[in-house]
Amino acid sequence: MLISKEICKELSDDEIVRKAIAQVDYFSCLYDRYEHKLLRYIKRISAVSNEEAQDILQDSFIKIWRNLNAFDHHLKLSSWLYRIVHNETVSHWRRNTAYQKGQTVRISKKMAESISFELDPEESEDAKFVLTHQVLDLLPLKYKEVLVLKFLEKMSYEEISDVLKIPEGTVATRINRAKKAFAKMAKKQKISFDAT
Amino acid sequence: MGNSKKIIETIKEQEIKPIPRWRFTAGNALIWLAFVLSVILGAISFSIILFAIQQTDFNILSHLAHSRLEMFLGLLPFIWIIFLLFFLVFAIFSIKYSRKGYKFTTSRLVGISTAISILLGTMFFISGGAQQLENIFATNVLSYESIQDRKVKIWSNPQEGYLSGIIQRADEESIQLIDFQNKAWKIIYKDAFVAPILLLEEGEKIKIVGTTTGKKTFIAKEIRPWGGMNRGKNQRRGSSKD
Repeated sequence: MLISKEICKELSDDEIVRKAIAQVDYFSCLYDRYEHKLLRYIKRISAVSNEEAQDILQDSFIKIWRNLNAFDHHLKLSSWLYRIVHNETVSHWRRNTAYQKGQTVRISKKMAESISFELDPEESEDAKFVLTHQVLDLLPLKYKEVLVLKFLEKMSYEEISDVLKIPEGTVATRINRAKKAFAKMAKKQKISFDAT
Repeated sequence: MGNSKKIIETIKEQEIKPIPRWRFTAGNALIWLAFVLSVILGAISFSIILFAIQQTDFNILSHLAHSRLEMFLGLLPFIWIIFLLFFLVFAIFSIKYSRKGYKFTTSRLVGISTAISILLGTMFFISGGAQQLENIFATNVLSYESIQDRKVKIWSNPQEGYLSGIIQRADEESIQLIDFQNKAWKIIYKDAFVAPILLLEEGEKIKIVGTTTGKKTFIAKEIRPWGGMNRGKNQRRGSSKD
């Protein structure tokens, strides 16, 4: 028996977690509430196809379910979910691309466009968005992830700290460095954001 | 609704259960226990290092420029320094892997763990615990060479100018001394510096810097209590060399 959207809507994140532990069907509320955001995030930090992203999300939610009792209620549930999804995505990416530290993922403009269309049709109309992704995909993961969380997912430093499990001070430093790396890479790729 | 239905079905079909809360609680408690134990053991190591430094007696070392480093290194308890570093690193890793450990920078974790170990270690040292623990180790651990043993070894080199032992008798110019190898010595000290804190009377344990003038005669340049700053406590307690 799946829980209706109306009932899910009335429940807070914490209530869903508590109810899901007692009755698994409530877990669907969590999935429905975060599916779109998390799927978009997976695609933003990795160059995976839609199918792969769906698989990663499914695996992540199985992990979330297994570890539901580990959720610290002092933390924002969204941060905890992003953390698990982030780790799962990075693991998947490393497994499938023989990823090594400092390595970057290069994708074509066409692929970037197709990804961005899948991500958010409204945003993808903006050429800036496609170009942003092109540059982001050339950055090392540690820079890319903070830029995505800060500027695309609109998270606070505290939330990013909780997702990536690094101190807030490190988040700030990394964002600064990532912005510089982004500007340098854009210049190298001869991409001007003022012109678009 | 499709995907959420799919995941619920998978969970039900495969009978996947959430890991019980007690396992996470126990895991977290173990991490904190490891942290507390590491800090305590680090503190104990630090207190014994303090004890070794105290036993080095820097007042004398300042007059012995040529062998200062040698004597200091001879007395440093390297095993306890290694223990201290090991437990500090272990404490830092424990707290790093606790639930909220990631909130702290490594430098802050190093600072916190070191500060706690230093504070507790100093308290343990002041309370006399370090010396007692050192004695327990010396008595019960066969391969352990205590700070006191090493100190005796260093201060039993009359040819090098270092002598120590227990006063048998003393007058205004000389002292009859039995060293820690039970050899009798006559110490001439009329021109020597005698630490003001020291009472030259029977039973006192002393250490002397000077030169040998015969097989059983030693001219003292400087005489200090055996136990360094903790003279009263060290000298009058127990029957061992401490």
